[in-house]
Amino acid sequence: MSANTATKKMNKHVDLTGTSTGYKVFVVIVLILVSIFFLFPLYWIVTGSFKPQLEITSRVPIWFPMEPTTDNYARLFEHPAFLWLFNIVFISGMAMVLTCITASLAGYALAKKRFIGRAVLFTIIICAMALPKQVIVIPLNQEMTNIFHLNDTLWAVILPTVGWPFGVFLMKQFAETIPTEILEAARVDGAGELRTFMTVVLPMIKPGIGALAIFTFVNTWNDYFLQLVMLNSEEVWTLPLGIAKLQGEMSSDFGLIMAGAALASIPIIVVFIAFQKYFTQGIAMGAVKG
Amino acid sequence: MEQNTAAAVKPKRAKKPSQTSGMSRALVRRETISAYCFLAPALVFFVAFVVIPMFICVFYSLFDYSLGGINGFVGLDNYIQLFQDPVFHKGLINTIIIVLVAVPAVTAFSLWVGSAIYRMNAFTRSFFRCVFYLPVVTGSVAITVVWKWILDPYNGILNQLIGTNGYNWLGEGKTALACIILILFTTSIGQPIVLYVAALGNVDNSIIEAAQVDGATKLQVFWKIKWPAIMPTTLYVLVITTINSFQCFALIQLMTRGGPMNATMTIMYQVYDSAYRLYDLGYANAIGVILAIIIAIFSAIQFKVAKTD
Amino acid sequence: MKLKRILALAMAAAMALSITACGGGDESTPSGSQPSGSQPSGGGAVTLTVASFNIGGFTDSAAWEPIIEAFNAQNPDVTIEILPVTYQDGDQQLANLIAGGNAPDVVFEGPERIIGNYANEGLLVDLSDLWEGVTDIPESISSVSQLDGTYYMYPLSVAAHCMAINYEAFEAAGALQYIDEETRTWTTDDFVAACEALKAAMDAGTITMAETGIIYCGAQGGDQGTRALVNNLYSDYYVTEDGSSYNANSANNVKALELLQGMVDEGTMGVSTSYAAADELQAFANGTCAMTFCWNYSNYSQYAAQTQFTPFAMAFPSDDGVPELEMAGPYGLCVFDNGDQAKIDAAKEFVKFVCDDQTAGVEAVKTTGFFPAHEGWGDIYEGDETRAPFSLMSEYLGRYYSLTPGWVAQRALWWPMLQAIMGTGADVQTAADDYVAQANAGMAG
Repeated sequence: MSANTATKKMNKHVDLTGTSTGYKVFVVIVLILVSIFFLFPLYWIVTGSFKPQLEITSRVPIWFPMEPTTDNYARLFEHPAFLWLFNIVFISGMAMVLTCITASLAGYALAKKRFIGRAVLFTIIICAMALPKQVIVIPLNQEMTNIFHLNDTLWAVILPTVGWPFGVFLMKQFAETIPTEILEAARVDGAGELRTFMTVVLPMIKPGIGALAIFTFVNTWNDYFLQLVMLNSEEVWTLPLGIAKLQGEMSSDFGLIMAGAALASIPIIVVFIAFQKYFTQGIAMGAVKG
Repeated sequence: MEQNTAAAVKPKRAKKPSQTSGMSRALVRRETISAYCFLAPALVFFVAFVVIPMFICVFYSLFDYSLGGINGFVGLDNYIQLFQDPVFHKGLINTIIIVLVAVPAVTAFSLWVGSAIYRMNAFTRSFFRCVFYLPVVTGSVAITVVWKWILDPYNGILNQLIGTNGYNWLGEGKTALACIILILFTTSIGQPIVLYVAALGNVDNSIIEAAQVDGATKLQVFWKIKWPAIMPTTLYVLVITTINSFQCFALIQLMTRGGPMNATMTIMYQVYDSAYRLYDLGYANAIGVILAIIIAIFSAIQFKVAKTD
Repeated sequence: MKLKRILALAMAAAMALSITACGGGDESTPSGSQPSGSQPSGGGAVTLTVASFNIGGFTDSAAWEPIIEAFNAQNPDVTIEILPVTYQDGDQQLANLIAGGNAPDVVFEGPERIIGNYANEGLLVDLSDLWEGVTDIPESISSVSQLDGTYYMYPLSVAAHCMAINYEAFEAAGALQYIDEETRTWTTDDFVAACEALKAAMDAGTITMAETGIIYCGAQGGDQGTRALVNNLYSDYYVTEDGSSYNANSANNVKALELLQGMVDEGTMGVSTSYAAADELQAFANGTCAMTFCWNYSNYSQYAAQTQFTPFAMAFPSDDGVPELEMAGPYGLCVFDNGDQAKIDAAKEFVKFVCDDQTAGVEAVKTTGFFPAHEGWGDIYEGDETRAPFSLMSEYLGRYYSLTPGWVAQRALWWPMLQAIMGTGADVQTAADDYVAQANAGMAG
């Protein structure tokens, strides 16, 4: 045991967990295999989008497009695919901005203010966080139509997304780390509520806002359900919704569908890889605080 | 504005405990007013698009409500029908299976991957982290449609590879739910891994070294030192994965529509199906209310666990 | 610093806005009625929303443009907006619109939804005045355009659902001998023999198909194909004579289901419990299977560009050689009662124009790919070779079931029954009895 410990101490910068070489090789092999499994669908989307119909429907595996074609993309752009892309970017971006503004204001108040109804409000927010949107979609749709007259517009997706209380919860967790003394110091200096928020609170919860922004953007992008029930006309469809609809109509015209999937995923993947550091930092931060 | 003067006049606030006790009434009122001003933007959205629809939903669930409008009050009939509906039973069982399989699998596997990669060099670490996060950013619809192709009985690569030509992965009750869970797994695991890598990286190295000097085994180090340190992360992972598993919709809608023979029917999907295919809106709302209650119970249990630990 | 001030302003604005919005919201009840009042529609311009299902060429909503143009030449005050909906999730879209109080003014579909759903729910306007003096619409169509004696649908076109075979594959397998190319019919025995020949050819590698045919039972639409297949094999009906009961458990229907189950077991017929009709059609077009059970002119034209073989339309096999095909459609239009007489009048005008105008109507019928509901219009496809087989099929039209009570709920039960019988080899009589019991229970509700 002691000899073992000695080796470990020597290797501590490489490995503190005391694992044998055999295990490490095993780990690496498993990780690589699982990675292939995770990367394959993406590879299949991209290569599939360039395969001609015959290769798509081939009954033997064709690993790479033998006669690459852009025909699938040509057929995709017979539909307003760029408009759909714009729509989903607009929905996700707008939901992101609005959520960040409302949630940072509210999260700060919930964390740092002692007011009547705070406990009740916080409980309601916690409860609502787990509520699936499917549950309320029928009344929500009626509201959009009859009260706000926003049915079949991009706002019908954006507004309920902003209403989802997860952001408030997350920002509350961040705002709680602000030392109360600093807030009081600001008050002593005669700063008003809004100025305190802008000059003291905001800089301190900035990383949290970053995390929330990423969360909201990705989750809104992936919120297929709300898009499905709220968006009727082709002009307001989003790219994920458009692909889903193409799949319904064209069924196994997989070439076309893969072209759509590639258009829907490649831009966000490029952004993700470019900003990977911030992405992962933001996500990790959300949890450490939460 | 009022808050400004309030702050100026009363610069020193009493050191408050968690509630409003010990504060003067005027101060409480001022705090309350300013708090609600900050809360107002979020509350407007929250009340208008979550709380009010939630109440309307409960209201509708007590009516016979179809496409033509409300046909009269039926009390708890929708709920009674629910408990006798074999489709609902099947959906409930499937939902529980999905949650009970996916949540532990995602948590355990992401913890394993997290522990395996957090000590690797920065490049390898971010490579793996990136790979496992890719399905999340690729988007649920794109991932679902490509899997539908991979699993296609005739043109899918899976059957071609393993020589089971014509086997219908999504069409057989035995494999359909398993496929759904597997794909749900691939789209759920990215975030927990990122979280675990960060959490494990924050565990104090000096304690681990000290323990190893004292002859602690690898397992002991893990359970005695690392596990408690990453407990908050684990709870967070459990909560988000549970919610995600309950809410998995795109996968089912695009791949199986609840079939074959309701083998992949979930409560979530039944809400949609009852409302939009069977036009039984009152019934759909009743299912929705029950689903909300089930999720609330699950969350309450998890928050309880979080508190006691 | 500047940025911060802008941010501060934005925040303040957001707060102010939300507060005023909140305050306004409390008393919004009186002002809430204003928007509906702010769109006066009496006499002046009217905008109609026409929800158009993807029937034939109308899958591309641009196909409506020439018709609307012609309509506007006569009715310049009426603006027509087309809302394209698909069978995939059209029910969901329309449910949303109707439940949201935002129903379209006109819907273009068949009696199954128009009469079975919308008229049944009391959402439609009586169209009896459009029917006055109309004599050239056959009784088979007029009888399904009404509910309890009131007309709610005005029909445009009609067709027969049939099946199709891959002619070259049949030729290569030596199976052409089993079909009557003249009448496009075959007997049940011929059908079985053809499938066996195809299977043998597949095993020998003469043809490279995966299945002879695929009994698709993955739900959502196209059920008319599997219905017609089962009912024709031993010449029975989907619903009993008096319409009081579903009929899948009758001796002949059970015999038919058992025959298909046996074929699936032997591999002379394929089954897919996850495929919908559209998947099966695509498989047929790809050459994955040698026949499709979901064929009509509209599908023919949609898949024509993709197929590398001759899709040969056939009637469903029948033991007596006399097929009874299901009516596709009749497709027609209905008018929703949205409480605005001006809109209703304009909508009726539009419906009449689309279905009765000799130029626009023929154009519309041709776009659906089917045949006119007005028999008086004669053969609008004269000389068009590709239409001939489908015109032939119209002669085999049989009974119309889709207005039987409990139809929608029953469709949801039909698939699981097929899945159980074909997929898991369940006992046919038990599964069929089970289905009929549940379907009949739905009749009452």
